[in-house]
Amino acid sequence: MVELNLSRRQFLKLSGATAATLAIVELGFDDKRAYAKTKEFKIAKTTVTPTICCYCGVGCGILVHTKKNEVVYTEGDPDNPINEGKLCSKGTTLRQLYTSEKRLTKPLYRAPGSSKWEEKDWGWMLDTIAKRTKDTRDASFVEVENGITVNKTEKIASLGGAALDNEETYLLAKLMRGLGITYLEHQARI
Amino acid sequence: MAEFVKYIDVTKCDGCRACMVACKNWNDLPAEHTDFLGSVQSHTKTTADTWNVLQYIEHENSKGGLEYLFRHSSCFHCTDAACQKVCPESAISYTDFGSVVIDQDKCVGCGYCVQNCPFEVISLKEYKDKNGETYRKSHKCTMCTDRLEEGLQPACVTTCHTGAMEFGKKDEMIRKAEKRVSEIRGRFPNTMVYNPPGVGGTHTVYVLAERPSVYGLPENPKVPTSAVVWKDYAQPIGKMMLGATTMAVVAGFVSNKLFNKGGHGHGEEGGEDYE
Repeated sequence: MVELNLSRRQFLKLSGATAATLAIVELGFDDKRAYAKTKEFKIAKTTVTPTICCYCGVGCGILVHTKKNEVVYTEGDPDNPINEGKLCSKGTTLRQLYTSEKRLTKPLYRAPGSSKWEEKDWGWMLDTIAKRTKDTRDASFVEVENGITVNKTEKIASLGGAALDNEETYLLAKLMRGLGITYLEHQARI
Repeated sequence: MAEFVKYIDVTKCDGCRACMVACKNWNDLPAEHTDFLGSVQSHTKTTADTWNVLQYIEHENSKGGLEYLFRHSSCFHCTDAACQKVCPESAISYTDFGSVVIDQDKCVGCGYCVQNCPFEVISLKEYKDKNGETYRKSHKCTMCTDRLEEGLQPACVTTCHTGAMEFGKKDEMIRKAEKRVSEIRGRFPNTMVYNPPGVGGTHTVYVLAERPSVYGLPENPKVPTSAVVWKDYAQPIGKMMLGATTMAVVAGFVSNKLFNKGGHGHGEEGGEDYE
């Protein structure tokens, strides 16, 4: 038999040490609790702005979540009667319109016959477009064809897109007809 | 808390892939380089950065006609998850919703879960730390548990415009699945509810149009026996022995310190006093 000759103090010390050892070795600390709730919910503190998807004619509603001027998330707008929170694969990527590195932020100009794009400012762009449109129209304008008044140009065409809304399409058609353009085409028909 | 499942009716899916994009959008997963696979399918299977993949299957049915089948494939969130069983770090756990999640802080990238998943939905990703050393972490669908906690539905379910996916109480969803199966049996004679009992049922319940094997799914998936032996028998015994050994060492050290104060000098000599 092992005989322990313990004083009261020693006995207490030993009991305490045993308890502490047990607690550390076998039971451990609850590290799960320490890990929990360390990650903040992604859209917890975002500003939510409703918008309309720009990709097709359906016009789904999208909620844009922004934080400090950065788009952190986009999702279908559940209150929109058109899509009721649903989105297609393309509409779901809407956030990349803003965040993508491939996004164009300056107008690019490619001269006729050139293979290079050059950066130009908006003023130059708009002036050039207006000037060339007028030049082309003046040079190619047909007033009378086969004895019938036509007032048209066949050297310019217009291509609309599904992303245009009702009012934009109206204005576009109005302007093009005013210029005498007969080739009014739409992206969705091609 | 009631159990929740993701219910997927593949016969309503139109293969738009919005679920794939919604998953990447919510979880901020980067795009991957993919190659043409000879079909519309983008990725062969789920990867560490693509937690769900839409399968496109061209299948010849019993009448010799072509069936173009789609399936949203991602983690099944098994009730008895093999990944959870084999994880040596206990990094994989069940949530209150029934989803199975990986704790990225605890994961050491050993890859046991990847090898043992009966559905092959877990993948490892390599990272580089600041010293240039590579380390790995395993990734898979989380069933958007962070969204569930806030009362939202998983991102893929939220975006699905055909109503092929739903998220709700388990019994309700299973009832719905069974009703749907009886409705479409005339069109798809092999249709079935896929909620395999071999893994205790799953928290992603499918209405399949064809046999599971057509979709590349196991007909009767099971938790590998080696995983059960390892987790339920070998590991507890090992832990117990490790605990006992550690305790003995620590206790020996503590008592040695306490009772050797008397100035006997060395531990060995002091030990003799108590015998």
